[in-house]
Amino acid sequence: MNKRNDDPAGMSLIVKTVARVTTGLILLYGMYIIIHGHVSPGGGFAGGVIVALAFVLLVLAFGKKFTMEKISVSRASLVESLGAIMFLAIALAGFAGGYFFLNFFTNKGEPFRVFSAGIIPLCNIAISLKVAAGLFAIFMILVILESTVKKDK
Amino acid sequence: MAVYLMCLTLFMVGIYCILRKRNIVKIIIGLIITEYAVNLFFVLLGYRMEGRAPIYSPAQAIVNMVDPIPQALILTSIVIGLAVTALVVGIAIRIYEKYGTFDITQIKRLKG
Repeated sequence: MNKRNDDPAGMSLIVKTVARVTTGLILLYGMYIIIHGHVSPGGGFAGGVIVALAFVLLVLAFGKKFTMEKISVSRASLVESLGAIMFLAIALAGFAGGYFFLNFFTNKGEPFRVFSAGIIPLCNIAISLKVAAGLFAIFMILVILESTVKKDK
Repeated sequence: MAVYLMCLTLFMVGIYCILRKRNIVKIIIGLIITEYAVNLFFVLLGYRMEGRAPIYSPAQAIVNMVDPIPQALILTSIVIGLAVTALVVGIAIRIYEKYGTFDITQIKRLKG
């Protein structure tokens, strides 16, 4: 029985144990959706939402203090900005070859191959960074708002 | 046709919820129902009977797919709806902080 289980914050022992097992799997599934975004349904937004939901599950199970030690809102905001800048940089890098959003890695991709689509997986990763960090920041800000309301009462 | 009428009914339920309810949380739920009814309507417009999901996969002939354009549009719409919902919920929490109630008839401090 480690310290985290005895922590009164968050939900019961059962929820904490299940959350600890499933959070990694949910993260992995989100990354699968992101990487395979151009060959199967899904992509940056859907995968980013799944990744954010893994962190939301952490907040719900372990309480917000535990999660805030790992990832603060300012760090989530940093990652979100990084995603936006990465997307813009990929788009602008196309100007080196001639035009906006030029697919500069490959001329012509092969269907159903994961590593054949040039910049599209990179764009998906950038979008997923932005969506995951943004959604998590929205959730955390709502949680913080609610806790300040309770403190005032 | 009946499907579209049911979709309209769902939209009307949402509108009723927005206009008639006094609790801010219920108004937000009505907003979400209205938005999803519109999303459902758009996706229904692109549907065809016995249609497949518009996914191009190997060893499958491209026959009888549903229209993918409304689905792509609705994905964007869902993202915007998420942002709007987060904004409205944030405003509702601020209102509760300021007035201590979710009842819109009680929120009248500005009234002269």
